[in-house]
Amino acid sequence: MLWLWILIGVVALLGIVFVLGYNRLVRLRNEVDTGWANIDVQLQRRADLIPNLVETVRGYAAHERGVFEEVTRARAALQQAGTPGAAADANEGLTAALGRLFAVAEAYPDLKASENFLQLQDDLTDTEDKISAARRYYNATVMRLNTSVQSFPWLLFARPLGFREREFFSAQGDTAVPQVSLSR
Amino acid sequence: MTLQQQIRSNRLRSGIVVLGFVLLLLVVAALIGLALDLSLGVLALAFAGVYGIVALFQSRSMIARMAKAQAMDPGELKPLSRLVENVSIAAGLAVTPEVRIVEDDAPNAFAAGLRPEKSYVGVTTGLLAKMPKRELEAILAHEVSHIRNRDTYLMTMATVFAGVIALVADIGFRAIAYGGRSRRAGALVAVVAIVGFILAPYAALLLRMSLSRRREFLADAGAAEILNDPEAVALALRRLELDATTITYADASTAHLWVESPTDRVESERRGVLALTSWFNTHPPLEVRIAALEEAGGFRLPERLPADEPFAAELRVGDSVEV
Repeated sequence: MLWLWILIGVVALLGIVFVLGYNRLVRLRNEVDTGWANIDVQLQRRADLIPNLVETVRGYAAHERGVFEEVTRARAALQQAGTPGAAADANEGLTAALGRLFAVAEAYPDLKASENFLQLQDDLTDTEDKISAARRYYNATVMRLNTSVQSFPWLLFARPLGFREREFFSAQGDTAVPQVSLSR
Repeated sequence: MTLQQQIRSNRLRSGIVVLGFVLLLLVVAALIGLALDLSLGVLALAFAGVYGIVALFQSRSMIARMAKAQAMDPGELKPLSRLVENVSIAAGLAVTPEVRIVEDDAPNAFAAGLRPEKSYVGVTTGLLAKMPKRELEAILAHEVSHIRNRDTYLMTMATVFAGVIALVADIGFRAIAYGGRSRRAGALVAVVAIVGFILAPYAALLLRMSLSRRREFLADAGAAEILNDPEAVALALRRLELDATTITYADASTAHLWVESPTDRVESERRGVLALTSWFNTHPPLEVRIAALEEAGGFRLPERLPADEPFAAELRVGDSVEV
């Protein structure tokens, strides 16, 4: 009889531990999803600014066709990117293309003085700052989820229950995601 | 400790502190009841309850009034609201807190609000005038971590309760001092009650102060994590430390809300007298906070602070472009 009670106790305890751990994984996964949604919003905003920018620059420098095509291609690549890693790569590509566009713009003083252009440039800088802020949060949440999924005992159960490791938002060639953990 | 554990432990502590405040309030009410009249004690308790609830609902605007923080036109100071937006995105807050400006030359900042969605961050004009962008961001991140950790909630509760207890104790004290003789009790009870009324606000203060000190370390660590830049946080704290301007309306009732204790300098003369006063400090010394960051981040602050342009300059540039 005693053994039965001990057995029941152990099973109940394991059940509680399991429920707590499971809920924790759900929460971590939701945080990652929220983090990704934050990045996605900003990437979309950045992509939305591009056509306007290209039109504005075209108004002053119509013959710089190569640059326009490059930027438009980079934008399309960003919108088609399916995974966080691919999106980060495409985002880097867009940054490079925009860099060339702004270098071209340097040669046109009228364009540089145009209020519309300045406004767009300002909005783009803001979006880039926000992407990097959202990226910090997202990567931190991914780090937490991945650590949990990779640790014992969730190593054994996480996958069958549908919890997978997630991809960091970092472009190829980015050295490892910087992580400072100060919380004790 | 993960963030979730931090939030949970904060909730638990809030519960314990609220319990402590309720006990204290009951003691004060009981003293009134014993020394004067039982019905008066009940009345005081009812009054305290109503006052506390009203104050809690009013706390958002009340704290803003006490700190003289003014709401800001979102178009104006756009770079500043952008900075706050970026910091809250990096912190994973669902809603960006409002920014309020305090006209004061002393560099300082605070956060307030019962819920994270309805919180705001107050910064002084002195902070904008003295901090470069990187360090200002660090201060904002510190405040945003207070909001994220639910420290602002806990602190608001503590402020309201401390206020209620001080008020009720004061009423009791006056009732005995001027209201004439107690009917039921002898001189001994009256003396005990008077001592109780005098000590109760200090006990409330002690309870409140004990809360905020550890929280500062957590918020510093949170800020370093949000920005991935512990050095910026340490630099900002060092700059605050070197700055000698005191906030003009240094007020004990809101001291625990600020990033750097606004009253320490005011009280520094008094502090030497009593070793106990370090218990009443709302904040650990900046020096200790900087050392904690240096240790965690594995760096040493340079001897001299970077002579970067203060953020206020950028604000003016931003304005002139838009005009």
